[in-house]
Amino acid sequence: MTSPFDTEWDAIVIGAGMGGGTLGRALAEAGQKVLFVEKGAEGLRSERNGLTEVFVPEARAARGLWPDPLHVSLDGVETQFFAPLGSGPGGSSVFYAATLERPERHDLDDLPGQPHPTGGWPVGYDAMAPWYDRAARQFRVHGTPDPLSPEAPMPLGMPPPLHQAEAALTDSLRAAGLHPYRTHTGIANIEGCENCLGRKCPKVCKMDGRSAGVEPALATGNAQLASGLAVTRLLSDGTRITGAEVRADGETRQLRGKRYILAAGALHSPRLLLASTSEAAPKGLANSSGLVGCNLMLHVDERFALWPKRGVPDSGATKAISFRDFYHREDMRLGAVQAMGIRASYGEMVHFLNRMFDLRGQPRLRTLSRPLAAVAKTLLGHAHLFVGLMEDFPYAHNRVLYDPATPEKLAVTYTLSDELRARRRAFRKALRKGLRGHRHLFLSMTPELNWGHPCGTLKFGHDPAHSVTRADGRAHDLENLWVADASFMPTSMGVNPSLTIAANALRVASHILEDQR
Amino acid sequence: MTRITPEDGIAIVTGAGSGLGRALARQLCDAGFTVVGTGRRAEALEETGALCAGRFQPMPMDVSDFAAVERGFAEGIARHGALALLVNNAAVYPKRDVFDETPELFWQSMAINLGGVYACSWAALQDMGPRGAGRILNVSSYADIAPLPASAAYSVSKGAQRVLTRALIADLFDRFPDIVITDWLPGALATDMGIPDGLPPETAAQWGVKLALMRDQSLNGTIFERDMELLPPRGLKAKLKDALMMRRPRPRRL
Repeated sequence: MTSPFDTEWDAIVIGAGMGGGTLGRALAEAGQKVLFVEKGAEGLRSERNGLTEVFVPEARAARGLWPDPLHVSLDGVETQFFAPLGSGPGGSSVFYAATLERPERHDLDDLPGQPHPTGGWPVGYDAMAPWYDRAARQFRVHGTPDPLSPEAPMPLGMPPPLHQAEAALTDSLRAAGLHPYRTHTGIANIEGCENCLGRKCPKVCKMDGRSAGVEPALATGNAQLASGLAVTRLLSDGTRITGAEVRADGETRQLRGKRYILAAGALHSPRLLLASTSEAAPKGLANSSGLVGCNLMLHVDERFALWPKRGVPDSGATKAISFRDFYHREDMRLGAVQAMGIRASYGEMVHFLNRMFDLRGQPRLRTLSRPLAAVAKTLLGHAHLFVGLMEDFPYAHNRVLYDPATPEKLAVTYTLSDELRARRRAFRKALRKGLRGHRHLFLSMTPELNWGHPCGTLKFGHDPAHSVTRADGRAHDLENLWVADASFMPTSMGVNPSLTIAANALRVASHILEDQR
Repeated sequence: MTRITPEDGIAIVTGAGSGLGRALARQLCDAGFTVVGTGRRAEALEETGALCAGRFQPMPMDVSDFAAVERGFAEGIARHGALALLVNNAAVYPKRDVFDETPELFWQSMAINLGGVYACSWAALQDMGPRGAGRILNVSSYADIAPLPASAAYSVSKGAQRVLTRALIADLFDRFPDIVITDWLPGALATDMGIPDGLPPETAAQWGVKLALMRDQSLNGTIFERDMELLPPRGLKAKLKDALMMRRPRPRRL
């Protein structure tokens, strides 16, 4: 293998996660010379770990996790915790539960009766649909169509049969007038599949940025992975990126390519641009709009426990069921509801309570977590955990921070808006009403932000004054800089972002290939 | 519970030239395994081989020579196949009063009893890590609890070895739950290192082999004494909870 520093690459992909892996694969398959630059270690393919609260940065890095905590100023309260962020080939997606849901038309388009918060994405639903189809095939998504959707379904593989408790739960949700369907999941049904939700798996059934992105890219022979290498700064001559500065073995060196693709994730990609200041670009690169890092969106997780009807045999946790009955209600953008694939276990409850206390700036209450969890576990017993993912709207003041004095410190500031609180109340009310007849319990007192779903910090758009990249994914300000991670999203939608990241990465890759010609 | 079989790969037993190591090697060979046996004395390994029905591969080596360990393990694995089982058995017990135990001599024993276990485990993990599976049995002792006189290096190294087991598990268990590491205390044996009226090493080896071939994930970090699991000490709160719940933790028996 040649040194990555001796080659002029067709494309340097910064970050080898869901977006970077998918885009890099598409380019490599088209014959481009692709370099993935990945801060995280490559690790061993045999690893099976999930997320961990271990605070030793070296131990976190060895497990493919972001080594340092995320510092959050939430409504002015300073707190820090380990966000569910991966760092290594596949990025966070190697830990995900492979939920690959397509958004609704109103998530992207401005519709009569369903006005879009930003007036609509620069690429509309119909233009995106073929890319969703392609991503669904590449990630081998299985499931059943949402019965409420008027759209043509994506190509969906046959899901594995429901077990008894899942079938009973589906029936009783249906009897309550809801419209459950089989969650759209990117897991190929291969023999011995371990259903490795929430952790890494040595097998290749879970389709993520590694197994469906980086690895097939490397298999083409056109791509190379430089792991354990962090890009610290991009260099520019004012119209183009001329190099990517990295620290390698204590030395500062440069990688060179024709195109540079930012795919470090919505928390890190903007930070790299903000770190790349110069006299010509005092606000950082690609930042003439001043919006780099702004409009950070997460989802609000509305978790609840749902008990199956009496007499239903217990056959384990389910991840298989989703419904979109409350996706858009009473002129409000709410979101999809899905089974989380976990039981209300003691460990889960402790983790959840700890996080809740931390986020409220009351880490001392952590001492209560264990006794509370013990009580909760007894109460919740055989309940299934569900989560409603409620859309978060873009506000420029919610943003990723970068301080040159502490360049390593990953920090954001976020304020919960009144509008968000009102929608959350409406979401809970709608859920409560819709689940009538089912014993259920909401599990959060305050809005729980989903720190695994950050997006929006380099939004795409037609107007250079109000967006960072063009509709095709290229920066307004720099002709060879592209964005292919969740940063591009102008709104956060009411579903998990993974499929949208993948679909958009495929779309951006096709624009890069067109540009090449 | 599934067991390790010769189809899973070979076994390496350190200190296979005498005593317990020889008995373990012999019984593993009898169970059909190809056993690579290390030891400092080539003749002693030949004698072990003569007892082992052709499946024994002698590998003369000093486990405190870390470069030799790395090379030897790599060669043994390349020649004989994947490493399914490592038994860290090699140890020395020089009985010296503190005035005779120079820092150099002390460190030599540490290098064998502790350094050797780390070096061999590390070399084994080069093969077990990528496969995500393997078994390591550390022959262990409680010599550290109440050190005998004239036993400084042995007590310290053996105590540290059990800490090493826990440290390895902290690094490995969540990532590689199928690499299973267990400490085993065979008790006082009638060997050169042991006591005249101790247990015959062949008897202890039967337990050792049985334990070594068990690969249940739940064995990670457990300690067995002779043929019985030693449960971790339980605090007052845990004991009270056990009493209230009317349950009693039961040790496993080989």
